[in-house]
Amino acid sequence: MKTELRGNNTPISLQNPNLFDSPQSSILSGALKGCLGSLDGACIEKLLLHCASALESNDVTLAQQVMWVLNNVASPVGDPNQRLTSWFLKALISRVSRVCPTPMNLNGNSSPQRRLMTVTELAGYVDLIPWHRFGFCASNSAIFKAIQGYNKVHILDLSITHCMQWPTLIDTLAKRPEGPPSVRISVPSWRPPVPPLLNVSSEEVGQRLGNFAKFKDVPFEFNVIGEQPTVPSSPCISTLEYSSLQYDFLLNQVLNPSTLKLEDDEALVINCQNWLRYLPDEQNNGASQEISCRDIFLNRIKDLNPCIITVVDEDSELDVSNLTSRITTCFNYLWIPFDALETFLSKDNSQRIEYEADIGHKIENIIAFEGTQRIERLESGTKFSQRMRNNGFFSVPFCEETISEVKFLLDEHASGWGMKKEDDMLVLTWKGHNSVYATAWVPCGFDD
Amino acid sequence: MPADMDNSSVMNDSTASGDASASSSGNQAAAPPTSSAKKKRNLPGMPDPDAEVIALSPKTLLATNRFVCEICNKGFQRDQNLQLHRRGHNLPWKLRQRSSKEVKKRVYVCPELTCVHHDPSRALGDLTGIKKHFCRKHGEKKWKCDKCSKKYAVQSDWKAHSKICGTREYKCDCGTLFSRRDSFITHRAFCDALAEESAKAQTVEALPAPTADDEEPKLQTLASSSPPPSVAAQPPPPAALASSALPVQNPEGPENPKQSPAPPQILEETSVVTSLTGSCGSSSSSSSHGSTSSSVFASLFASSTTSGSMQSQTPEFTDLFRAVARPENASEVVASSSTEPISLCLATSHGSSIFGTAGQERRQYAPAPQPAMSATALLQKAAQIGAAATNASLLRGFGIVSSASASSGQQEWSGRGIESDSASLAAGLGLGLPCDGGSSLKELMLGTPSVFGPKHTTLDLLGLGMAAGGGPSGGFSALMTSIGGGLDVAAAAAASFGGSGEYSGKDMGRGS
Repeated sequence: MKTELRGNNTPISLQNPNLFDSPQSSILSGALKGCLGSLDGACIEKLLLHCASALESNDVTLAQQVMWVLNNVASPVGDPNQRLTSWFLKALISRVSRVCPTPMNLNGNSSPQRRLMTVTELAGYVDLIPWHRFGFCASNSAIFKAIQGYNKVHILDLSITHCMQWPTLIDTLAKRPEGPPSVRISVPSWRPPVPPLLNVSSEEVGQRLGNFAKFKDVPFEFNVIGEQPTVPSSPCISTLEYSSLQYDFLLNQVLNPSTLKLEDDEALVINCQNWLRYLPDEQNNGASQEISCRDIFLNRIKDLNPCIITVVDEDSELDVSNLTSRITTCFNYLWIPFDALETFLSKDNSQRIEYEADIGHKIENIIAFEGTQRIERLESGTKFSQRMRNNGFFSVPFCEETISEVKFLLDEHASGWGMKKEDDMLVLTWKGHNSVYATAWVPCGFDD
Repeated sequence: MPADMDNSSVMNDSTASGDASASSSGNQAAAPPTSSAKKKRNLPGMPDPDAEVIALSPKTLLATNRFVCEICNKGFQRDQNLQLHRRGHNLPWKLRQRSSKEVKKRVYVCPELTCVHHDPSRALGDLTGIKKHFCRKHGEKKWKCDKCSKKYAVQSDWKAHSKICGTREYKCDCGTLFSRRDSFITHRAFCDALAEESAKAQTVEALPAPTADDEEPKLQTLASSSPPPSVAAQPPPPAALASSALPVQNPEGPENPKQSPAPPQILEETSVVTSLTGSCGSSSSSSSHGSTSSSVFASLFASSTTSGSMQSQTPEFTDLFRAVARPENASEVVASSSTEPISLCLATSHGSSIFGTAGQERRQYAPAPQPAMSATALLQKAAQIGAAATNASLLRGFGIVSSASASSGQQEWSGRGIESDSASLAAGLGLGLPCDGGSSLKELMLGTPSVFGPKHTTLDLLGLGMAAGGGPSGGFSALMTSIGGGLDVAAAAAASFGGSGEYSGKDMGRGS
């Protein structure tokens, strides 16, 4: 949806010549609210786009004016449109304030602190809507199949949901007819600084998982991989350096056979859940190389010879350089969770507000940041699948059992959730619109 | 005629049948980028840009016998049934064939104007889906579950629910109930109760109606999950309460000869309390989000338990934590928005007059008093005094301007003047809504300088004091013009003072 900026001389007729009547005070606010509150999604999207193009062309006045209008529409406790708008507006304001350094954000960190959850809260959070559970279910089912016949399993868990995926797998493995394998789960000591955030360490999470596995009589081990040097938030280190530090950490410490202590008789499972999008996709430094960091990462994964790689992520193309189209795409994608939450949670439900706030955090990163600070670099499922094939992976189709498990799961949620098969992917849909995709891969030439 | 509905293209459906659907009139009233007859292309989120968009009227959607035999006028709920029936008429070969072969993908929009699915880019892919959606969202909920109080508009939803209602309930030791097994398992794995249970010999799950995939023979007695363990298991109470819970716990384990020794329990709770305090402290230190923490703790209790065991204690904890985490700018949390201080509230929540006396607005924009002043409050202030027009710019109010002559080398914020040409601003955002005080409304929106005291020609972000430069804000008029299309609907509706009630503003309505 392209915005059209016309020339300066568009004549506009006065609708009311009596501009300078004395204002009526608070009645106006009510009237304003009443009128603007009924702006529909298309108008809001247009407003957002105009704000974006105003920002891009340094038209401060226009940007301010649009933001002012948006502010009168936005409400974090209104209807889904209003709620979504409030987060977008916040992101736009954040973007503006980023380019104008203020005493508030000179330290480079003006993002509000997100709330830290307890593990049990997080357990409820991931099950609010099947957004995460869909990926868990599909991946666990594929993993279960892939490790049949193995007595030892090692899972490298690269995800942002703090191991919420594993209890159900442990439970299923416990009931395996031939007895459970011994399970080893490794997580990196660093994860992208995005919500949901926990108030306990990874070690603590692992300990609880261990308790559960013991309770289920599944031999279990948990490791946090890598010693990440704590990077001070001093201005001395640029964001570019910081992000390459993280990247190096991931490549050299985490995807490292010796730090992972890989064993030959173990089935290695690599689980990427909402993870790959945080890997930069720009071309690597070497001018001659056409391969990006993300591809290097995938190749390194391939070198580890895993018996299955499960990849789950959101199905939207959000890594484009053009701000305007990012805003459009984002707005036309993230309405989905907002709409879903609206169907069964009240407007002031705190879980809902928190969930939406976390999405708002994502929106802010996508809209307000650029360069290495913009860490949300989501690519669509189709594009991603192509990337995997280009990097020498075969897709593992999901079997009928998996599909019926996922269907069963979705039946237990609100009726708008559905699922479809799209090429190699299993895609979660809300009212027919793609939301999350799940895929499974093996490296070509996998050595069993 | 109705038989054509399935095959014929878009607008013919509703107009032919005489049901002037809300969508068709709505489409014509606005001058939107698309009507339901046009296909939207290249829209993100649009499942298939080449799909044909079909808008059926409410009557059509609700009709149960849409498929009518053209020979005997018998109605059927499904097309397949109609076709089966038609065979019985012994039609000559030509007539046996369907009128046209439609291979084109179709998507359906909801006729309800304010609905999110009214917009073609949010269309639904199948007819049954849109019918069900329409009933669910905009229809009357005629079906009620007799076990719980849930109501449904679609019979199949009701049936599906009744099947599972109350058949499976999973209860964690901490007392929380789950209807889905995977949520139960996940919760259980991380629940504090598990740590205590792990020493118990027998642990079980309560299943009123065991299902096939639940073969665990162990049965959890509910007696063991008595309130004291649940207290410990819940998001931890303050230390005082924890210690008082401990002595209660030990004697309480009814079937457990091997109690987990007290020290680990104490340790666990203390450490958890510490982390709570830690996060409490950290959240109150970020002052502008102090109120977040109070809502945090409120929601900890609000959302974390469905069992009654904690309910009586919740208010006290909430108050306790609110006291602990008293935000510095609690006043900034506007009454209407209860939990998220970062949120942007509607301007209306500030009851004070929107138009401060002319000339005073400068003082209202003294440099942000507390660094913690939320964006919300500042924007609201801006709204009060007419955002765009004030001398001190909206964003300066954020404290974004550090000094009058701060040079931001990187950015070129060209100072563009506020329109002294009120005429072009008047049409403004196309929101020339002649509601009460409509003209002043426009003023408010546009912040005409003359209302707000000294006319200033510069509205630049950094207050660089640049003279009014560049002529009329071309962008602004473009904004107005391009939005005008969509907003004309709002204007037209509002023109009749209150509109026709089409704009409930409840659902995500899109381009009409």
